[in-house]
Amino acid sequence: MSYQATVTKVARGGRVDAAEALDLYLHAPTAVLGRLADEIRALRHPERVVTYIIDRNVNYTNVCVARCNFCAFYRPVGSGEGYVLGFDEIFRKIDETIELGGEQLLLQGGHNPDLPLDWYEDLFRGVKTRFPSFRLHALSPPEILHLSRLSGLSVPQVIERLVNVGLDSVPGGGAEILVDRVRRLLNCYGKASADEWLDVMRHAHRAGLRTTATMMYGTVETPAERIEHMLRLRALQDETGGFTAFITWSYQPEHTELGGGEATGIDYLRTLALARTVLDNFDNLQASWVTQGGKVGQLSLAFGANDMGSVMIEENVVRAAGASYCMDENEIVRNIENAGFTAMRRNMHYEILGEPVFRQRQVPRMLALAAARAEGDTSRPPEIDRYAARSAAEKARRGPPRPA
Amino acid sequence: MSGLQELADRLAQGVSLELADAPAIVGTPDLIAVGMLADEVRRQLHGVRTTFVRVLEVHVEAIPAALPPGANAGELRLVGPPSSATQALEAVASARKLSGGGIPLSGFSLADLAALEPSSSDLFASLAREGLEAVADLPVDGPGDTGATVTRARAAGLRVERMTVHGAAADPLATVAAAIELQRAVGGFRTFAPLPRTLSTMAPTTGYDDVKAVVLARLLTRDIPSVQVDWPLYGPKLAQVALTVGADDVDGVAAVDSGTLGARRSALAEITRNIRAAGLEPVERNGRHEVIGEPSRSGRP
Ligand code: SF4
Repeated sequence: MSYQATVTKVARGGRVDAAEALDLYLHAPTAVLGRLADEIRALRHPERVVTYIIDRNVNYTNVCVARCNFCAFYRPVGSGEGYVLGFDEIFRKIDETIELGGEQLLLQGGHNPDLPLDWYEDLFRGVKTRFPSFRLHALSPPEILHLSRLSGLSVPQVIERLVNVGLDSVPGGGAEILVDRVRRLLNCYGKASADEWLDVMRHAHRAGLRTTATMMYGTVETPAERIEHMLRLRALQDETGGFTAFITWSYQPEHTELGGGEATGIDYLRTLALARTVLDNFDNLQASWVTQGGKVGQLSLAFGANDMGSVMIEENVVRAAGASYCMDENEIVRNIENAGFTAMRRNMHYEILGEPVFRQRQVPRMLALAAARAEGDTSRPPEIDRYAARSAAEKARRGPPRPA
Repeated sequence: MSGLQELADRLAQGVSLELADAPAIVGTPDLIAVGMLADEVRRQLHGVRTTFVRVLEVHVEAIPAALPPGANAGELRLVGPPSSATQALEAVASARKLSGGGIPLSGFSLADLAALEPSSSDLFASLAREGLEAVADLPVDGPGDTGATVTRARAAGLRVERMTVHGAAADPLATVAAAIELQRAVGGFRTFAPLPRTLSTMAPTTGYDDVKAVVLARLLTRDIPSVQVDWPLYGPKLAQVALTVGADDVDGVAAVDSGTLGARRSALAEITRNIRAAGLEPVERNGRHEVIGEPSRSGRP
C-alpha cells in the first residue's frame, strides 16, 4: 500500500519520482488516481473553467519517407494514393475555419522529400498575407528535423526561417514514447530520437515559440517507459517553461503494419491521471476525444484534464487508423457544461477568447469531420512543379528537364 | 461533498439508499465520489466477479438457415419487433431449429409482444411451447401496465428477468424509479440495464450522464442483483468504465469473430482483457445465467 504515501506526498505539493510514479500507476485504484488528479486540476484551475479551441487539423501531405510502423496515414513516395494539398486548397480550408469561428490551423504532414523548405516558406507567407491575424500552429519536431536534414540547415536556422514567414507555435506530435528502445521498435527512431525530439522543442522554446507535448502509448512500451517519457518532458519544462499543454492518446491499431489491440478506456483515464500527477509543471492537460470518443473524452475532465482540445473540423490521421468521432463546438460545450464546468474558447496560448461562438451567431452544425480531400480527388497542385524534386519517383513523373 | 459523505456513511452502516437520495447523486459534479460509492455496493454484492454473455442476435425477419461459421453463443436472441403473433411464433420456431436446442433462446421486448394483441396470455404460452425461454427485455419506460404483463408472461412459462430503458430522452430518475417499483410490485428481476438503448444523434447522452445512470441504478436497486451494460451499443471504453462504477454484467458480446484481426482481437480476448484491465475478473455465463467458464489469462476458455 506504499502508493498511499505517494498520494499524501502529492496532495501536499510534493513531486513524484520515477519509482513513486510507477507504484501509483501500477497499484493505485483508478478512483484514487482520478481523485488525486482531479484535486491537482482543481488547485491549478480553481475557477472551474474548461477550455477548448476552434482550429482545423490540416495534413498537407500524406507522402512520407519515415514509415513508422504504427502509422496508418502515410503513403510511400510514388504511391497513387499520395497527395499534396495545393496552396489554394489550404486557403479555402482557412476560409471555412474562420466561418466556424476558428483562428488557427494545426498543420502537420508526412516527411515528403519533394517539399523543400521554400514550399513551406511560400505557404506560410501566403497564409499570413491573406489572413494576417490567423495563427499557424505547425510542423512537429520530426518535420522540423526532416526540413533541417533536407535543407542542410541547422534546426535553429530552420526554426528562424519558419518564424520569419509566420510560424506561431509548434505542435508536440511525433513524440510517441521518448525512449529510444521503443522508438527503434516502432521504426520512428530514424525520424527523431528521443534527444532529437526534445532538442527541437528546446530550440523552439529558446526562439520564443510555445509548444505542446504529446504521448502516444499502448504499442510496445512498458509502464516504466511511459513514466520515463513524462519525466523527460517534465525536465525540459523545468528548463524552458515552453510547453503550454500535454496531450496523450492511445495507439490506434487498425490498418497499421504494427497491428495489435488498442489500450482500454480505463488505461486512458489512468494514464491521463498519472500525467496530471507527474507533470506538475504543466498547466494544461487536454482530453483526447478524437481517439477515446466523446463520452470518455468528457470523463477525462474528472481525471485531470482541464481542456477539451480542438473542434478539429478536419481529421485524417486517426481516421486512417479506424477511429472516427466528431464533436462540433455545440457538442464540446454541451459536454463541458454537463460535467459542471464553464466552457470558454481559447487560443493556443490558453488565453481566453470568450464565450462559445455559436451563442453569438449562427454556426452550421457539424456531424462528421472533414477529410483532407474529397474521395477520389487525385488532383495535383499546379505550384508543385516550381519546387525542386528530390525523389526519383517525382523526378520521373516530371520527365526530363526542359532546355533553358 | 457533505451530501455525498452522508450517503457514504449510510452505505457503510449497511443502510440502503432511496429515491430521495437520487438528486444528490445526479446533481454532484464529483463523478469519482459517486462512482466510488456505487463500486463499493457492487463489490459488496459481487466482489470483482464480472459476468458477460456472448449473444447471437438474429432479426425476426431474417433468420438464417444455419449458425454462422465459428459462432460461439451463450444466448440466441431474436431482435426486432414482430409484425404479428404469427410472425413471432414462426420466428421462434425457426430460431429454435437454428439453436439446435442447445443455446438458450430469448427474444423480443415485452412491450412489443404486448402490443400484438390485447390479451397476450395465449401468445405467451404459444411462444413458450415453441421453445422461447425468456423475453429478452422489459422496457421500464414503455407504455401500459407492465407489471400485469410480466405476471401473465411468467405464468405462461416465460422468464422475464431483464429490465431495460428504450427512450433516448429517458430521465434516469424516472427510469430507476420505475425499475424499483416493478421489482417491488412483481419481483423476480435479476438484471437492470439502465443506459438507454436508443441513442440520439444530435444530443447523445454524455459520459457523465451514463456514469451517473449506472451509479444510480447500483445504489438504488440493491434488490436487483445485476446492473448490466451493453458492450456493442455503448462501446468497449464506456462499458469498461461502467464496470468500475456499479455495473457487474456485460451483455451483447459478439458470438462470431470477424476473423480478420487475429486471435488477439477476438471478442472473447477483448472482453476478457477489458474486464481485467479494470481490475475485475471475467466469468462467462449463458442466457440462463449459468456459468460457462472463467477465461484463462491467455484469453481462452
Ligand atoms: S507518423 Fe508521421 S512521420 Fe511517421 S510515417 Fe506517419 S506521417 Fe510519417
